[in-house]
Amino acid sequence: MNINQTVSGSSLTMRLSGRLDTVTAPQLEETLKNSLAGVSLLTLDFANLAYISSAGLRVLLFAQKTMNKQGSMIIRNVNETIMEVFEITGFRDILTIE
Amino acid sequence: MHNKDKKRSQRRITRLLGQWLLLCVCIALLCTWLFVYCLQNWLSDRETQTLLSINISDVTADISDASDENLLALTHTVADLLEAGETDLDAIAEEYSIAEINVVNRNGVITASTYESFLGYQMADGEQSGEFCVLLGDAEEYVQSYQPISYDESISRKYAGVSLSDGGFMQVGYDAEEFQKDIDTQVIGATRNRHVGQSGYLLISDESGVIVSDRNGGEGQNLSVTGITLDTDDLQAGEKFRTEVYGESCFCMYDETEGYYIISVLPASEALASRNTAVVTTVAVELIVFACEFLLICFLMWQLVVKNIYKINDSLSEITAGHLDVKVDVCTNREFTALSQDINATVDTLKRYIAETAARMDQELAYAKEIQYASLPGIFPPYTDCVQFDLFASMHTAREVGGDFYDFYFAGEDRLAFLVADVSGKGIPAAMFMMRAKTLIKGLAESGMEVNEVFTRANTRLCENNEANMFVTAWLGVLHLKTGLVEYVNAGHNPPLVDCAEPQPAGSGGADFRDGKDPGFYYLKSRPGFVLAGMEGIRYRKNVLQLAPGDTLFLCTDGVTEATDGQMQLYGEERLRAVVNGSRMTPEELCAAVKADVDTFVGGAPQFDDITMLALTYKGDGAEVHGTPEGAAGAL
Repeated sequence: MNINQTVSGSSLTMRLSGRLDTVTAPQLEETLKNSLAGVSLLTLDFANLAYISSAGLRVLLFAQKTMNKQGSMIIRNVNETIMEVFEITGFRDILTIE
Repeated sequence: MHNKDKKRSQRRITRLLGQWLLLCVCIALLCTWLFVYCLQNWLSDRETQTLLSINISDVTADISDASDENLLALTHTVADLLEAGETDLDAIAEEYSIAEINVVNRNGVITASTYESFLGYQMADGEQSGEFCVLLGDAEEYVQSYQPISYDESISRKYAGVSLSDGGFMQVGYDAEEFQKDIDTQVIGATRNRHVGQSGYLLISDESGVIVSDRNGGEGQNLSVTGITLDTDDLQAGEKFRTEVYGESCFCMYDETEGYYIISVLPASEALASRNTAVVTTVAVELIVFACEFLLICFLMWQLVVKNIYKINDSLSEITAGHLDVKVDVCTNREFTALSQDINATVDTLKRYIAETAARMDQELAYAKEIQYASLPGIFPPYTDCVQFDLFASMHTAREVGGDFYDFYFAGEDRLAFLVADVSGKGIPAAMFMMRAKTLIKGLAESGMEVNEVFTRANTRLCENNEANMFVTAWLGVLHLKTGLVEYVNAGHNPPLVDCAEPQPAGSGGADFRDGKDPGFYYLKSRPGFVLAGMEGIRYRKNVLQLAPGDTLFLCTDGVTEATDGQMQLYGEERLRAVVNGSRMTPEELCAAVKADVDTFVGGAPQFDDITMLALTYKGDGAEVHGTPEGAAGAL
């Protein structure tokens, strides 16, 4: 999985590509922990993300909870497969998906 | 990063050694060059000295020989005249251009002389004159070099004497000017063709500094035209000095004989040529030798030490990368053999500890697995006295322990609660969270509250102190054995498959999802609630599903639908549906068929996620067993 970060003021955009599963989720969690300080708008771009597993959902939940305290989080360009996962797991209700 | 920087700032041993070696070699080279230069300089100096002095002494000998011969011949002529009875010494002296004639009697006293004042002088009284007393003995003739006379030291003369028949002797004194006239030709002959070394030569001047012989044609001129200034007070005869001669830097040496100054001249270029050649040759040879030594030492260092270090490092890198069976095998010498053996011994010890630790971990995990499996109901059929349903469930963990679980129990009379759940993540953390969730849900469900209330409360409890951000997806249903009504709640879990044993006429069951569909399994898609333990304050909704006798409900975790083959293809919901639709099966057969198909799909790829399944067939209330479509139809 690749994580491409763009910072603009207090907003941070992360473009993810590949698969967000048990193997790669810790990498995203580590990246988030290191860069979320002072961020008021986190945008996750899923345009190139093919798959998300429950380990990936856990990291998204962590990100959402963190951003609930300091601002907001938006997820963009979610593909059909991942949207289905979000729907099945009820994540669609707690995430802001554009 | 820090380590990398440090590594970069440290120089390689070969480079470090090379630098120090180069420094030492350069110092050694400079020292030997200096030594060779000094030695060659000294040798060259000595050689020049020898060359100059040999030539001078040769010429000096030649000149004095010529002068002696000349004077003796003259003296014999005069002696013959005297023996013949001639007495007019002045006349003889004038005729032969002789400065002085003395006749000495057998007692050594001058009896006749061209100088009256000399008469009666005792020859033995003076050092110079005394030498002639040998003629009073056996000696027949005697020649003296040109030197100051005993009678008056301000006058220099050359004397020769021959013995006379009366027992005395006669002595002839010659002025330099006179005898030089006689021998100049011989002197020139003796010097003009003489070479000092290859290109050196001899210069001869008389006492007044007029050049007598000079290959460069300076005869008759003053010595100063050559550039040489002879300061006989400062400069000792036979001492080498350096000066410009005819514009060329030369080494010179002079000596004095018979009123001549003999100067040998050797151009410095020639004198130093051999030294320079020797020094240049030595420098070149040493440069080659030292360069070879330098390269040889570097090569040996590389071969014997550095290469072995790299070899050991390579082996160590492999070991660090996890290949603990790699042996370090550098046995080129005793030191490296010992090092290799020590490393191997260390790795072996490490391997043993790892194996021991792994064995202990395995043992503990095996116990954990036993405990986890023991916590799930494992006896099928579970309730032998209940004929209203048939139930089977299984769990296959990807690791020893897993985060999936299934459960079923009675939550009140005729109310069978059953659920399948999946904790995010795998391994021990998931297993522990699973135990917590399972116990909590069972406790709440058994108290008889509504299924949605069970999840709402369980969520609140699970959210407490959930620092690890773990969550659970779960699907909980309660089957009313008498009516076949299932009340269920879904917390983010994938939907179950429901079999409609009988075609349902459209509109017959109201809002039932099976309306108008053919018999077979369909996904029971309802709007799910959020996962458990994900966020506080979530309220769950209760849904209902009416089962007819013979209907089957199949629940599983995403370990089934997201099983992955070698090409990263997902198993998928459609393939699952196709398998369960294959033929009518009992719950146990259903679970086995799905597991077998998943295994076929996955092939050799490792199991990635826990796989948990639960199948429940409702058989209707009463004594009748409706295990077949016909039976189910009969019940309706």
